[in-house]
Order: sequence, then structure tokens, then C-alpha cells
Amino acid sequence: MNKLKFNYTSLSFLPILVCIPLGYQLINNIHFGGFKLFQEFLISAFNPKIDNEIIITVIKRLNETILIGFFSWLVSIIFGAIFGIISSNIFYKIINIPNFFYRIIRFFLTIIRSIHEVVWGIILMQIYGINFSIGIIAICIPYIAVNSKVFAEQLETIDYKNFESINQINAPKFSSLLTLIWNPIINTFKNFGLYRLECSIRSTVILGLFGIGGIGTSIFLSFQTLNFRELWTYLWSLAILIILSGLIFKKIKFNTTNKILSIFFIAVFFITILFSFSYFLYFIFNNNFENFNSVSSLFKSSSDLGLFDFLKLILETIILSLLSTGIAISLPPLVIGIFNNNSSKIFIKIFAFLLRLIPTPVILLTLLTFNNPSLSLAALTLGLHNAGITSKLLFTNLDSQDKRNYIAMKSLGISNKTSWLLGLFSQQAKSYLAYCAYRSDIIIRETAIVGVIGSVGLGWQLQESLSSFAWQEVTIVLIAYSSIAIVGELINGKIKNSLT
Amino acid sequence: MNNTVLELENISCEYKNDLILNKINLKINSGEKIALLGKSGSGKTTLISVLNGTIKPTQGKVKLFNESFEELDRKQKSKITTIWQDLRLIEDLSAEQNVNCGLLAENNFYFAFKNLLNISSFKKAHKYMKLCRLHNSIYDKKIGKLSGGQKQRVAIARSLIQESNIILADEPFNNLDPKLITTIKNLLLENVDKNNRKKSPKTALVALHRLDLLNNFDKVIGIRDGKIFFNIKRNNLKKIHLEKIY
Ligand SMILES: Nc1ncnc2c1ncn2[C@@H]1O[C@H](COP(=O)(O)OP(=O)(O)O)[C@@H](O)[C@H]1O
Ligand SMILES: [Mg+2]
Repeated sequence: MNKLKFNYTSLSFLPILVCIPLGYQLINNIHFGGFKLFQEFLISAFNPKIDNEIIITVIKRLNETILIGFFSWLVSIIFGAIFGIISSNIFYKIINIPNFFYRIIRFFLTIIRSIHEVVWGIILMQIYGINFSIGIIAICIPYIAVNSKVFAEQLETIDYKNFESINQINAPKFSSLLTLIWNPIINTFKNFGLYRLECSIRSTVILGLFGIGGIGTSIFLSFQTLNFRELWTYLWSLAILIILSGLIFKKIKFNTTNKILSIFFIAVFFITILFSFSYFLYFIFNNNFENFNSVSSLFKSSSDLGLFDFLKLILETIILSLLSTGIAISLPPLVIGIFNNNSSKIFIKIFAFLLRLIPTPVILLTLLTFNNPSLSLAALTLGLHNAGITSKLLFTNLDSQDKRNYIAMKSLGISNKTSWLLGLFSQQAKSYLAYCAYRSDIIIRETAIVGVIGSVGLGWQLQESLSSFAWQEVTIVLIAYSSIAIVGELINGKIKNSLT
Repeated sequence: MNNTVLELENISCEYKNDLILNKINLKINSGEKIALLGKSGSGKTTLISVLNGTIKPTQGKVKLFNESFEELDRKQKSKITTIWQDLRLIEDLSAEQNVNCGLLAENNFYFAFKNLLNISSFKKAHKYMKLCRLHNSIYDKKIGKLSGGQKQRVAIARSLIQESNIILADEPFNNLDPKLITTIKNLLLENVDKNNRKKSPKTALVALHRLDLLNNFDKVIGIRDGKIFFNIKRNNLKKIHLEKIY
């Protein structure tokens, strides 16, 4: 090897350098007090508790999770599509509304999106108390904004020439609009629908950890009581749910040529919209604000947060995001590259599945059994969880890739690892990095979750401020949060553009 | 009776400081069949895009029925139909759905919705597809699965179904075999269709390359480097005219 060259391949591995400061802090914080607990946690995975009682609980809890997950998915994907349309260029090209509205809607959605559903959940719970529908609302708020971005991005792919030709027919504006956006919308639904359903279920579980209900609450309670066998029953049942929902979703064919099915989908579409609106109104007029007595309390409450502390929290959050992103980018190619044989591959896939399955707070709590809480530990948690997600994508892409180069190199006697690196991964590196840029947006938002539990960054401060009803502090923290997330999204957008 | 339906007054078009159309003046009268000749890159497509209002010229005025284009309402603008050189069909929709798009202007939103759900009537679409010699086995095929010639005829059917007074066709005979070319040319230019019922568009401007197809046209316009070199009756077309533009 001569000089280190900056290409997409090396850039995929370089971020692993974050392990140096990370490892240093982790080693300094190591303790062996919880080793037995950790061992028990691992063993319980193979020995989950199964009896009548727990199965009944599991079914009940799963029902709640499915209910929250499914409805928040349905509502957020439908409203996501609607907001996606009204925040897309094509809408403003066809309907004569000043571009000004486009900016406002996009800005508004960016802000909503920048705050994680857990944060929305915690805030809403603080205001309205714990309530089943809070879960749905908390997920829907950021999800509508996230989905609308996905839809709007797909709508940008409409060929300008098609727009011109439909426009030239001079049809009523909404007819032209619908004709142009129809296929991109349907395709987005087909391609992202399942993924978003999975996301909804995961978010429901995480909100459950914070008390919303469903399987997440059970997971949290069983962890708190160190009931690991029960914990694993819940985790495995969650795994089954996620796998099953994937299988069912793949079975459903969105055949738009089937009249009855089309009418059914349209009916679901409008009923969901109507129901959401009426529920929204009901919610607004029928809820007692438990602790949030008036808007004025927002200004009366004082803030004990000094400027210095505040800046430190922001810095912590940024470092946390960077470290986690580093792990999420580099760990998968490194591990897959080094252990490049069929049996290791299965093992890595299972491990990655577990990292995706186990909610980040639970991973963090597990790691706490042999490490004191620190920024590095939170970063490790978030990094590992997201590495589970990036590695899934990497595996999918590698598996579907043309392997001729790789086989040719191996037959030339080049080592297994080098062939993998140069023959397989190097062709994936660019698109992999582009995906990681997108993933890093999500990581920034997720720092809130580990922050709350790992006592670092703004997430932790948010929890503190909320529990002392310091609404002004809450507002400041939220503004700081969303600023970081928005700046992150801008930077990642630039990176993504240069990669695609 | 020479009433002008489309008029260009001193039209210039620029693309990044390149003058694509250079001070073009043109009057198109009702009922005229005009052939537009010119090398590739001479500005035919741009001229057609200006005529149908898709491209706003950098300079000059486009008038439709003696009124400035911008001031017309949707119904009046829909009296022009275009067959695009690059077809501009919606790839994910079926052939018949694409043809039905031509009917969007005369129908309401509900029709557009039904068309996308594939539950609208395709009777009229099928009629025009048949006129274009499209076999009924391709009616419900996606555009992506059709051959070049089939796509070309779907685009022509989408345009003809609009039954507009003015038709602008940009090299519509591409990908078609000689027999089809004759059929399509008749569809574009004849005022009466085979069954002596349907009136096809009255005024037609067709960009084309083949000089052997010029019969049936009243006028020939020659364009080169964004300038009109001649605009004459077909009978007066001489060799020197063609030498100027080719
Ligand atoms: N989108 C565009 N961007 C830049 N130049 C263009 C574009 N479209 C056309 N041109 C230029 O305009 C000139 C005329 O093109 P066009 O009208 O397509 O000619 P024709 O249809 O006669 O082949 C050409 O020189 C072409 O390069
Ligand atoms: Mg052309």
C-alpha cells in the first residue's frame, strides 16, 4: 500500500477512527459489578419464559403495539403523502400559489421532523398525561413530516417534459396534477410503505419504554425488575411481529387495475382522513391539560440553565451524533470484510438483526451493566443500533451485486479480504455512503433517546426540564435540538447531492 | 377567407446567450396545412414549443385567435394540440390511459381520477387507437413495453382524441413504416376521416424531413439557424429553396 487515497472506499472505513477516543473513555469507565447480570441477559436469550400467563400478556401487549403502530403508520403515510404533494415543486408549477407558501410549508415540516417522536411523546405526556392516543399522535407528528419529505423527493423525479406535455393539454389543474403525481405516489407507497410500517412499530416500542403502553412498556418493566427471561419473551415476540408484518405486507399486491381493491383503498384513504380530523378536534376540545395550565406559564417559568452549560450540552449532542455516525458507517463494512465467509455472515446477520430489534434504551441499559454512563457509551449504543440498520442495507446491496470481478480476483490468487474490498465493496461504497448520510439525519434525532437514559446532551436536559415543569428551558432545549438537526440535515443534503 | 389563428410577432428565443429563434414572424391561417422543413438543430422543436405556449420567448408576442397567449383561458388554449418529437407519454400508465389523458381538458377531475384507477370508459380512446392502426392487444399495456412505432402512434392518438382545431406535430412519422406513414398523414391532414364522420383538426403544422411526403401540404416553411428562410406555397417550392436550408 502506498499513500492513503481519499476515495469512497477509504472514506467508508475512515470514520472507525472514532473508536480511539471512544475506546479510551469506555475502558476508563469499565466496571465488573454487572458481569453476572450481563451473562444472565445473554443466556436468557436462549431461554425465554414461556407459560400461559406470559403468553396472554404478550398477546395483549402486542395488540396494543400493533394498534398504535398500525394507526400511526396509516395516518402518517396518508397525511405524509398529502403534505408531500403540497410541499413538492410540481404542485406549485401547476397550481398558482405563490412560492412563498412552499417555503413556509417546507420550513414548518423541517422543524417538526427535526424533533424525535420520543421527545414529542415525552412533551405530550407531560401536558396531557399518559394516554393511549398520545402514542399515536407523538409518532404521527414527526412521521408525517418525514414521510412528506420522502414523497416530495419522489415527486421531484417527475420528468419536466411530461409536465409540459400534460400542461399543454390544458386540462383542469387538479386533473393534470393528479395524472402526473399518481404513479410516483403509488410507487413510493409500494417501496417505502413496508419500511415505514416497521419504523412505526419500532417507534411504538420505544415510546412504550417511556410508558405509552404496548410491548415496549413490558420490555422496560421486565428490564427494571431484571427479569431477563421475560424480557426475551417480549423481544422475541416483537421480532416475530416485525418479520410477520413484513411477510404479510409483501403478500398484499397493490393492483390498481382491480376495481374492488381500488375502491377499498380509496375508502380507507378518505375514512382515515375524516377520522383523523374528527379525532383531532375531539382531542383538542376534550382534553384536560394536566400540567400545562396556560401558555403564560411558558414565560413565567424561569431557567436555571447557564449559557456555558447550555453550550456544553449542544457540544455533547453534536459529538454524540458524530461518534455514533462514525460507528454506523464503518463498523458494518469492516466486520463484513474481515469475517468474509459464509458461516460468519449468518452470525453477523443475526447479530445485526438483534441490534435492530432491541430498542436503543435497552441496549444502553445492558451496556451499563459493565460500564459507567458516559457520552461514549451512549454513542456506542446509538452507533451499534444504527450499524445494525446500515449493515442490513449493505448486505442487501452486496448480495444483489454482480460478483464477476470478485470471483475473477479470487481466481487470480488475490486474498479473500482484498478481493472483497476491491471487487465487491468498492463498487458499493458511494451509494452506501449516500445512505449513511441519510442515516446520520436520523442519528442526530435519536440522540434524544439515549440522552434521556444515558444522561448526556440535550436529551437528558430535556427530561430534567420537563420533570421540573421548566417550560422555558424546554423551549430553549427544543430550539437547540431542532437547530442541530436542521443544520445536520442541510450538511447531509449537500453530502448526499455530491454522492448521487 | 384568411383568418389568422396563430401568429408569431418578432419572436426570439435564447438559451444561455445562444439565439435559438431569431426574430421570427409567422402567420398561420385557419385550415392551412403547413410543412416545416429544416435540418436537425435548426429550431423546429423550439418553434413548436413557442407556438403551443410551452416555451416563453425571450422576445416577441404569440397570438392565438388574435389574442395574446397569456390572456386566453384554458378552454381556448386547449384548441391547440401537440405531438411531441420525444412523445412525452407517461411511462407507468397503459396505452389507453395515456390516450385518455387527451380527454382531460374536456372532462372534470372525476374523469382524471377514474382514468388513473382504470375504471373510466375507453371507448373513445379505442376508436382513435384503431384509427392509428394500434392493435387491441396493446390497449392495456404499459408504455414501457411498447415498440417505438407503437409508442409513436399512442402519442398521435392522444393528440387526435383532443379533436383540436390546430395540431402541431413534431416529426410524427418517426419509427413508422411507409404504409403507416400514409395512414397517419391522412389522419393529420384530412378534414374528414374514413367514415366521413369525424372532422380531424383543421389547421396543421408538421415538422418533417422527408420531401417525398410534401404532397397534401398547402405551404412549406424552411427554417435554418432559428430563422425562417422561406414561407411559400408548396407549388412554388424550388430546388434553390431547399439548398438554402440543407
Ligand atoms: N434544452 C435545451 N438546452 C440548450 N439548448 C437547446 C435545448 N433545446 C434545444 N437546444 C438547442 O436549440 C437548437 C434548436 O433545437 P431544436 O429546436 O430542438 O431543433 P430541431 O427540432 O430543429 O432539431 C439546437 O441548437 C439545440 O442545441
Ligand atoms: Mg426537433
